[in-house]
Amino acid sequence: MTLLSDLRQALGNENVLEEPLELYIYSKDASLMRGEATFVVFPQSAEQVATVVQIAASHNVPIVARGAGTGLTAGASPTEGGIVMVTTALNSLEIDSDNRTAWVGAGVINLDLSTAAAPFGLHFAPDPSSQSACTIGGNVANNSGGAHTLAEGSTTSHVLGLEVVLADGEIVVLGGQAPDSPGLDVKGLIVGSEGTLGIVTRALVRLLPIEPEVRTLLLDFPTVEEAVATVTEIIAAGMIPAALELMDQRMTTAVEKWLHAGLPIDAAAVLLAEVVGERESVESEASQIGEIGRANGARDVQVATTEEHRALLWKGRKSAFGAMAQLAPDYYLHDAVVPRTKLVETMRAIYEIADRYELTLLNVFHAGDGNVHPLIAFDASEPGINERVHKAGDEIVSACLRVGGALSGEHGIGLEKRDLMRMAFTEIDLDAQARLKEVFDPTGLFNPKKVLPDGSRCFDFGGVRREVPEGAWV
Amino acid sequence: MTWVTVDRPTSEELDACVQCGLCLPVCPTFRLTGRETASPRGRLQAMSAIDSGIVPLDETFAGIIDFCLGCRACEPVCPGLVPYGRMLEGARAEIVSQVPGRKRLRKWLQGSAIPSRSVMRAGAGLLSLAQSLRLTGLAPKKYERIIGGARRLRGRPGSSIGHVGGSGEAGTVGLLSGCIQDQWFRPVNQAAIKLLEMAGHRVEAPSAQTCCGALAAHDGRAAEAHRMAATNVGAFRDYDIVVATGAGCSAHLAGYGHWDDDGEIVGEVSVDITVAVARAIEDGRLPALDTPRGEMAIQDPCHLRHAQGVTLEPRRILEAAGYKVVETDEVAFCCGAAGLYSTLQPEASAQLGNQKADQIRSTGVTRVASANPGCEMQLRSYLEDNYEIAHPIEWYLAALVEELEGGITSE
Repeated sequence: MTLLSDLRQALGNENVLEEPLELYIYSKDASLMRGEATFVVFPQSAEQVATVVQIAASHNVPIVARGAGTGLTAGASPTEGGIVMVTTALNSLEIDSDNRTAWVGAGVINLDLSTAAAPFGLHFAPDPSSQSACTIGGNVANNSGGAHTLAEGSTTSHVLGLEVVLADGEIVVLGGQAPDSPGLDVKGLIVGSEGTLGIVTRALVRLLPIEPEVRTLLLDFPTVEEAVATVTEIIAAGMIPAALELMDQRMTTAVEKWLHAGLPIDAAAVLLAEVVGERESVESEASQIGEIGRANGARDVQVATTEEHRALLWKGRKSAFGAMAQLAPDYYLHDAVVPRTKLVETMRAIYEIADRYELTLLNVFHAGDGNVHPLIAFDASEPGINERVHKAGDEIVSACLRVGGALSGEHGIGLEKRDLMRMAFTEIDLDAQARLKEVFDPTGLFNPKKVLPDGSRCFDFGGVRREVPEGAWV
Repeated sequence: MTWVTVDRPTSEELDACVQCGLCLPVCPTFRLTGRETASPRGRLQAMSAIDSGIVPLDETFAGIIDFCLGCRACEPVCPGLVPYGRMLEGARAEIVSQVPGRKRLRKWLQGSAIPSRSVMRAGAGLLSLAQSLRLTGLAPKKYERIIGGARRLRGRPGSSIGHVGGSGEAGTVGLLSGCIQDQWFRPVNQAAIKLLEMAGHRVEAPSAQTCCGALAAHDGRAAEAHRMAATNVGAFRDYDIVVATGAGCSAHLAGYGHWDDDGEIVGEVSVDITVAVARAIEDGRLPALDTPRGEMAIQDPCHLRHAQGVTLEPRRILEAAGYKVVETDEVAFCCGAAGLYSTLQPEASAQLGNQKADQIRSTGVTRVASANPGCEMQLRSYLEDNYEIAHPIEWYLAALVEELEGGITSE
């Protein structure tokens, strides 16, 4: 039997795509890198996912899982060919309001979960900017964060259990309702593994109560440094706001052109701050933030007076990447994390690097947790520009790592940042990770060549298994 | 060369999409299927593949593009300002030019028959007769939603074409009578004339006008769409304001710049009737009534809300009539009417039609306002007979008349 006939038999003809144009449409996610899908499949259940995994194994074909395709690092681009497994039909949703948890299919859209939980006074805390489109499966795969990660943590803090299809087609449930499962935290390994260890079909997630009061402030500054200094001082004052987001002037201008929200486009930087909780604490924190901002040079402090106004401000922030299209057809993005106290010097270094490479760079980022998002706007059809963009990107990452930062805050590594892993990890670190991958995926068919750079395995000579006794220290 | 027409999606337009995916959740066909190939981003990728010559323009491309409703819900959420509706029309024009044997009947309907006054008049006569004799059930299954959703035509008022009247101190309005609107929705046009004249406008519906060309453009009949736009630019270029009474028509007029060199002249002054009437109410040229009239469910036509960003105006009109407006669909998904979509993609259209009908039923309100003929017919065909569906300006005019008569009796 051919791969195609096996897939068709297992899923039905309508759930297997093979036309070149259809495959092209599934050949990339929201990143810049395009792959080439062999087939695209739409499993309707965890059992069908397991069957596809077995079929792929018997034909020795890779599998790349994909939710909504909003990933920014080519994690869902089939760059080594193979089957693109789309999880959108895995859309079951069972809310357990008493336990404040939900079993959620991998294909459920992040915001749909919060919308469904709202009547119970609950919501799902991780809120990536793509939350209106991205899926829970993708959030788990990338350990996604978002504007509210500052106070609530990223996806891993909200996953209690996972249903996962392993490389041999077995369906296992890891973790569960208990807050701390005994034994090793295998579920924790799967979160953030970007489809390289198994395919997540359902997740048991924690839901948090909707906060009684919310205040959203917009502060505008004559310089980026003053905005960043404000962030550092707010945290140093002992507050942990729900969110602290920064947008620079170019970004604000692009967003405003589309949104017409009255954003101050003459400000060098705007800071979006949100505080939540009981009325009294919210009001006192909001006024404290305003005072710190003014003391650091804020020209104006706006407080959203209505829910509509608040929603509009967030819409502006969350649509920023898409607004990049107004400047250039392509953008390249990093999401390194630096210690908050190093934000001022890091921002200065990032702008300097872009200037030196003569590139248009914009910033919009989670300032509160030091998670920078420098975006380079460019036109990939311009000769030689790709190289310049990537060189500048490497320098930016290296500047972030030099001050004690991390390679990625929330977008994952995928393929776009894979080779930068060497900057962040030693050979021994990478070897340990590669060995872990081998345990889960001995034949290497789950999202191959993603996350870990080639040769991560020590003594990895062209795929020959190394001749070192088990347990030897290398 | 991969594209062959002047209307093709351009590389500049395609470059405006960075594939962020924010359009996916608002796209009704993506929501129905969960498939990228049925999403705006996927369709733009398909156009890019043609543009760069990676795949030939064939039936697969046509299938992907034809599944689109053209509701343009993706446009207001797009931070990259991708002109999706324009590109869709361009892609359809290419399909009609390049893919042989594409649905001849549809071509005839949208390219020639609907815009032709004599064919439409004959069709309306036949429908009126069929309605009187209760024979509409005999209509071909393909058209059952359209035939079944049509208004009762017997005793309808005369055509508005050729009408001239009103004082004009508030400016002269050129009224686009429309093709379907002029035969099947004459009461809407008559209500528009009455209200605009009450509001101090002079209203003229020039005889030199034709169908706006929206149906042809949506279906890729670009040559006809260009021709109709040119005719209407000639007929309407000297008016202060151009008003259309169907949301699909007013949205198309607003985009005339794409269809005729002088199209902007008309496009810039075109508004939907709901905008013109709401303005008059706001300026005090039409009254806001105090008598409460109960609840009214509202349905937002895609080409009013998504394509033109008009949401407040129909609500203001209904409120001025004394109604308490009840929302039915926060995100305003398409009802599945979408021109002739119900005949071309009956399955998806039915799913959306049922979804919309359920949303309206769940409000418990049986009076419904809809500002577009296609939507109105779709709603009527999916809702029970006790639902009263009319254009917001008809509800408003009826309230005015009632108030006036009430006033006379009490004197």
